[in-house]
Amino acid sequence: MIDAELLRSLPSTFGAGLALTVALTVLTGVASFAVAVPVAGLRLASSRRLRWPVVAYIEVFRNVPALIQIIFWAFALPTLFPMQIRQRLFFDNAVVDALGAVTGIPLPYYGLAAALGLTLNTSAHLAEILRGGMQSVPRQHVDAARSLGAGRRAAFLSVLVPAGIRAAFPAVSTRLIHNMKNTALASFVAVPELFSRVQGEITRTFDATRLLLVAAVMYLLLAWLMTVLLAAVDARLRGPGSEPARG
Amino acid sequence: MADSLDFVLDNLVNLLIGVPAQRPGGLLLSILLSAGALAVGFVVAVAMGAAAASPWAAVRWTARAYVIVIRGVPLLLLLLIVHQFAAGGLLGVGGSTFRSAFLTLVLYASAYQTDIVLSGLRAVPRTLVEDARLLGASPARAYLLIRLPYGLRVMRPALLGQGVTLFKDSSVVVILGVAELTTTARIVLGSDVANTPFWVATYLAVGALYFLTAVTLSWLIERRTTSATGLVAG
Repeated sequence: MIDAELLRSLPSTFGAGLALTVALTVLTGVASFAVAVPVAGLRLASSRRLRWPVVAYIEVFRNVPALIQIIFWAFALPTLFPMQIRQRLFFDNAVVDALGAVTGIPLPYYGLAAALGLTLNTSAHLAEILRGGMQSVPRQHVDAARSLGAGRRAAFLSVLVPAGIRAAFPAVSTRLIHNMKNTALASFVAVPELFSRVQGEITRTFDATRLLLVAAVMYLLLAWLMTVLLAAVDARLRGPGSEPARG
Repeated sequence: MADSLDFVLDNLVNLLIGVPAQRPGGLLLSILLSAGALAVGFVVAVAMGAAAASPWAAVRWTARAYVIVIRGVPLLLLLLIVHQFAAGGLLGVGGSTFRSAFLTLVLYASAYQTDIVLSGLRAVPRTLVEDARLLGASPARAYLLIRLPYGLRVMRPALLGQGVTLFKDSSVVVILGVAELTTTARIVLGSDVANTPFWVATYLAVGALYFLTAVTLSWLIERRTTSATGLVAG
């Protein structure tokens, strides 16, 4: 059923889509993590004024489905502008042209909108996970740093944040893999990533059964690859001294 | 702006319970679909949890593979796979998109719930189960009457939380055109260019409905589980 001919045709059929899926995964994963760390930190801030906008960010972007967010940024946002401005702002300027040339997305703005939606959603989930991690850090560790002369900010940045990330990292990994699967949602806004290419091939060849199985295998391989890479990062974070005992 | 508000208000009933031709639909159907899938998925997850603890390696590996495969592919892809095989009659469920969507959500929910069930079962003190066995209960009875009910108390917050996640994720069944909230938004906006000015307001309203429902459910779960744990502790 999965024959040599099919396997030979895979790189030319799905290579570009797979590359786009990987690019979206890495880009939105890294951006989400970079946003989530300060958001989680501010979430624990003692001042109420700093805390509430962050709580709103986390709750809104976590509780509105990623698909709705992506459709909103891609299709709804541009309609706020009159036709001519909309054209210049979203579809016909040097930035999107350059992006289109690099990624091969016919409507590059939709790619940006999908990346934005995924990043907002995943960063909100990661912030909540990291907050849990930071809260699990024993108070004494922070107090110890403070008593050794570290300021509040230094104790926060060099004790609480790294220890919190370490504690939460397994859950962070799970969410980043979830984000990889969520990149398939970009297919709704005409981004030619892997899932959208699979749909295109099914429409073209009607060979749905085989193509769906091939797609499943490709996503499973991506998920497995991410599991392995993130486990390596996790082991690195924990340091050589605390590797799980063998035998 | 006023027009947008009118458009959303005119369609609010449609978004809440579906357009007249397809009721129940809209938010109501999103809730029904995810609640149903959560309930049926739980039964599957309990079976999978038992299979994962089976003395036969083949059964254990089947349960493990079930979880890994379903959790490893996008829900969108799982929907198409189930619909393809269900529509092909392999599972004898015919070609209804609604049944495909429901079946997919059941599979999806059950794979996540299996892990929750397993960790819940691990939290049950061994001695409880051993005592039941010593008193003459069969392994099946000890599992169903002692281990599962005690584990359930530990699992409950995570299981219900999974239900909220499922509710949000159910938005992707729009790919099969099942008339839940996201699909209803599409139906209401239609392909009429004259409706373009209402896109922002409509999707803000849809986002708000998902948000309010998810936050309310999470709040109810948190309140119930805190009072429940209080009861256990007291």
